[in-house]
Amino acid sequence: MKVRLFISLLILVSLMVACSSGESDDNNTASNGDEVVIDVFNIKVETTDQLNNLVEEYESENENVSINVTTVGGGQDAPSALQAKFSSGEEPSIFLLGGLSDTEKYSEYLLDVSDMESAKTAIDGTLDGATIDGTPYGIPLNIEGYGWMINKQIFEQAGVDPASIDSYQSFVEAVETIDAQKEELGIESVFAFSAKEDWVVSQFSSHFTAPEFDNNIQTAFKADQLNFEYGDRMKEYVDLFNQYNYQPILSLDYSTSVEELFANDQVAIIHQGNWIVPSLNSIDESFVKEKLGIVPLFVESDDEGKIVAGPSWYWGINKEKDEEVVEESKKFLDWMYTSDTGKDLIVNDFKYIPAHEGYDPEDISDPVSREVYEYLLNGKGKIWANNQYPDGFFSEALLPEFQKYLGDQQSWEEFEKNVSQSFTEMR
Amino acid sequence: MNFKSRTYWLFLLPTLLALLLVLIIPFFQGVYYSFTEYNGFQVTGFVGLDNYIKLFSDEQFLYSLGFTGAFSLASVIGINVIGLAFALLVTQKLGKASTFFRTVYFMPNLIGGIILGFIWQFVFLKAFTGISEVTGLEFFRGWLADTETGFWGLVILFVWQMSGYIMVIYISFLNNVPQELLEAATIDGANKWQSFWKVKFPLIIPAFTVSLFLTLSNAFKVYDQNMALTGGGPFGSTEMTTMNIYDTAFKVQEMGYAQSKAIVFLIVITLISVIQLYFTRKKETEL
Repeated sequence: MKVRLFISLLILVSLMVACSSGESDDNNTASNGDEVVIDVFNIKVETTDQLNNLVEEYESENENVSINVTTVGGGQDAPSALQAKFSSGEEPSIFLLGGLSDTEKYSEYLLDVSDMESAKTAIDGTLDGATIDGTPYGIPLNIEGYGWMINKQIFEQAGVDPASIDSYQSFVEAVETIDAQKEELGIESVFAFSAKEDWVVSQFSSHFTAPEFDNNIQTAFKADQLNFEYGDRMKEYVDLFNQYNYQPILSLDYSTSVEELFANDQVAIIHQGNWIVPSLNSIDESFVKEKLGIVPLFVESDDEGKIVAGPSWYWGINKEKDEEVVEESKKFLDWMYTSDTGKDLIVNDFKYIPAHEGYDPEDISDPVSREVYEYLLNGKGKIWANNQYPDGFFSEALLPEFQKYLGDQQSWEEFEKNVSQSFTEMR
Repeated sequence: MNFKSRTYWLFLLPTLLALLLVLIIPFFQGVYYSFTEYNGFQVTGFVGLDNYIKLFSDEQFLYSLGFTGAFSLASVIGINVIGLAFALLVTQKLGKASTFFRTVYFMPNLIGGIILGFIWQFVFLKAFTGISEVTGLEFFRGWLADTETGFWGLVILFVWQMSGYIMVIYISFLNNVPQELLEAATIDGANKWQSFWKVKFPLIIPAFTVSLFLTLSNAFKVYDQNMALTGGGPFGSTEMTTMNIYDTAFKVQEMGYAQSKAIVFLIVITLISVIQLYFTRKKETEL
């Protein structure tokens, strides 16, 4: 009897061992023949295909390197997934950082990138969003900018020249002019601000919080107070779009706002950034070329229009990996942003606005992206202050309080008070 | 005997191990974390009962508990009434149609919560708006844009998903009601209505014990449907407790605090389930 028992136990144990060794076998075959495996954790879902394409290109040039891309994002909670990767010990070699808070959180894993080619060629100031105590820890992915995205065709049909909007008052007039001709223009409403999406609200708030933080990423990150210095102007803008918005504003989501209403000429203005270009292109090639424009917000003064433009994501390299993996990761990122092939793909395939020098602005394929790039170069870009808010602030405090204001559940003063209070508590 | 008990434990071992690894150990770890400040990476301090004290002044958490309670009440009633109605319908002599209806009613249960959430989001936002444009009925306008429609939207979704499953339980109990009792009742002059309430109903009380338990605990634990349908909005007013806990843990990054919420939530569910079991057990009739 005992023998039988022993045998069955033995089988059980050997099965377990077989299972676990099976997994490690897979890993071994992947790194066979001195091949270096780089794991990339990607959050930009929109450009997954382009990234895979770029990786393939790189792999064909460098046969000793194999790159695995994991993409999480879109509807999924990407930062949680990244954290889960770290907690489970499957740390990626290269991953995306969303700002200083991420940089600080993963700082013990992050490599100092200051000697990398792609860090040296980065446009001045673009490294700030991943710099702690003067040491840069991330390579900017690209430049993204946002403001009021408009349908120029509707503006022109209504007799408004988008270029003539040079002050807050002229913006209000333009909105009212378009609203008065809603029926003739065949549009649903002037605005389609999607107040259901926490990130849209958060980005919108950035126009008004960035100047309060001296337009400085480090200041924004260290700030433990949010006083709504430009709250009055923010209220004016909010009241304006709420009045002329597609209703119900509180359940208006991204896809209805952008892909349904805006892309089908049903609304004239949305609050979005240049990342909507690829999805607009996939619906109607001519839209971006002929109709899409960007209008700035007038915050600090009535006649100085600015948009938010800057890098929002940074590539971080995991220094805890084997030395050769780290080396190859650095080479890969340098290649991506400084080699001719890489540059070409970044501009023409990814359709990114480059965060690096050595690109010709004329190469940027669509007019709006070029406009964003010019705003940035002309000093009319603000920082992505929203990326430096405390963890969870925009979805757990800002969005609900903002929706309460839109839904007439509280006054603007209460909104400012509650949000300021949460900001300090959550910092 | 020696051998018997040894094989007994041997066969139990894999399950015990699995339970230990994925349930019991994490549970005690969780209890420990609830007394600490923990960001998911490292424990930064032991705070004793602070998390628990903070929790009772956290308005959003208390609100979400209340909302979850109201949601559970509405959906438990809805699911059981509709589930029982379905069961009665398909146990009538309908021939082939009976199998067809059973399958159809059960089907929503096979779809995952996230997908269901998106399907119903489409129904509420697009189809309802369409209906209201065609008919001009205000009732179909602006669903999910305020707390009330958000609440009923969730209840409708969950009732739709769970009713078919609960129906199956009721069917099995209804089929077990002895035919001779029903015949005897008919001979005594009972009509359909009377024979249902006086004969069938008392005999299927055990089904209520099971169904109420299942629906109650499932309703309290709803997360994916909530996330996909309303995402807690507008202004966090349709946020259920599970979502509140998840957001505290992964968005605000306060794992320790979230853990203490989870433990309070566990205690609440356990208490409610035990009370419910106690009362429905008392009502069960033996033949």
